[in-house]
Amino acid sequence: MENVATDENWKICFSQLAPGLVLFARQWTRSAADAEDVVQEAFVKFWRRNHDIGNRGLLYATVRSVALDLIRRDSRRARREATALSDADQSVLPAFDIEDDSQRALVAALDLLPGEQREVLVMKIWNELTFAEIAEAVGISQNTAASRYRYALAALKKTLPST
Amino acid sequence: MNDFSELEDQLRKLRPATPSPELFRRIERALTSQETSTSSAGVLPRGKQSRFNWISLGLGLAAAAALVLLAIVRLQQPPKKVPSVASLSPAPAVSTAQLVPAGLTQVVYHTRDEGLRFPNNSSQPMRRVRSQAQETLRWRNPKTGATLRISYPREEISLTPVSGQ
Repeated sequence: MENVATDENWKICFSQLAPGLVLFARQWTRSAADAEDVVQEAFVKFWRRNHDIGNRGLLYATVRSVALDLIRRDSRRARREATALSDADQSVLPAFDIEDDSQRALVAALDLLPGEQREVLVMKIWNELTFAEIAEAVGISQNTAASRYRYALAALKKTLPST
Repeated sequence: MNDFSELEDQLRKLRPATPSPELFRRIERALTSQETSTSSAGVLPRGKQSRFNWISLGLGLAAAAALVLLAIVRLQQPPKKVPSVASLSPAPAVSTAQLVPAGLTQVVYHTRDEGLRFPNNSSQPMRRVRSQAQETLRWRNPKTGATLRISYPREEISLTPVSGQ
């Protein structure tokens, strides 16, 4: 798909990717507004450089890089967010349309996962990336990506014994 | 991954929240504008765009450091006259099947008169002239006609006694 900023192509691509991208970014930003800022900057940067939209590993790597840059550039805000998180305000991470109590419990269990496992899980489940793409986005090997995915599922299963 | 298939199904039923319509409008504005910034109302500083410049700067500094080191080595050697082409005698045991020296060229591209100096606290003033040149050594295989050239920069400082008048 050709990257032409003046036509409607980006809207088609972005409408499909946006929920997963914002969910992915929210792991680091802890708020929807910041996550959307990160996704905006990353997607615009990605699109302007005429990268192949099929290169999802690079797209998610861009989102990850922008999110981490944001944290580094604004350490005071990061500290405030960490403080807010420590105050047990877990409802903002990650952001889902929750329909029942079982899903609420699942989201709560997701919040307890280590970040490195959660980001792999988010890319795999809600963004449907392959382990090769995840490995490229995170900068790890495919085996490590697969291991983190399995560890995440095992941890969730342990937290949710009825599963 | 069969052990987790039920859990994976539950996870996939969770739907990520839909981003705000404002996000689409902001991206549209950013993509259609000619500006390089992302119109995020100052929330996000601009991304890094100077990676290539840093690489160029690093390469430039490395090249400059190499030249400086080469110049220092040259300065620590005793002054010597620039050999002429005729002075480059071939090695005694060179056979015709090997490369033999074929010539040396020296192109002086910068000369600077640094004025009078009194080296080593001597009373005899000397004029110091710094010259920079590019030297090229050339070897040739007389049998095959193959040539080998090596070029390198050279910096030379000459001290010429000045007679007081």
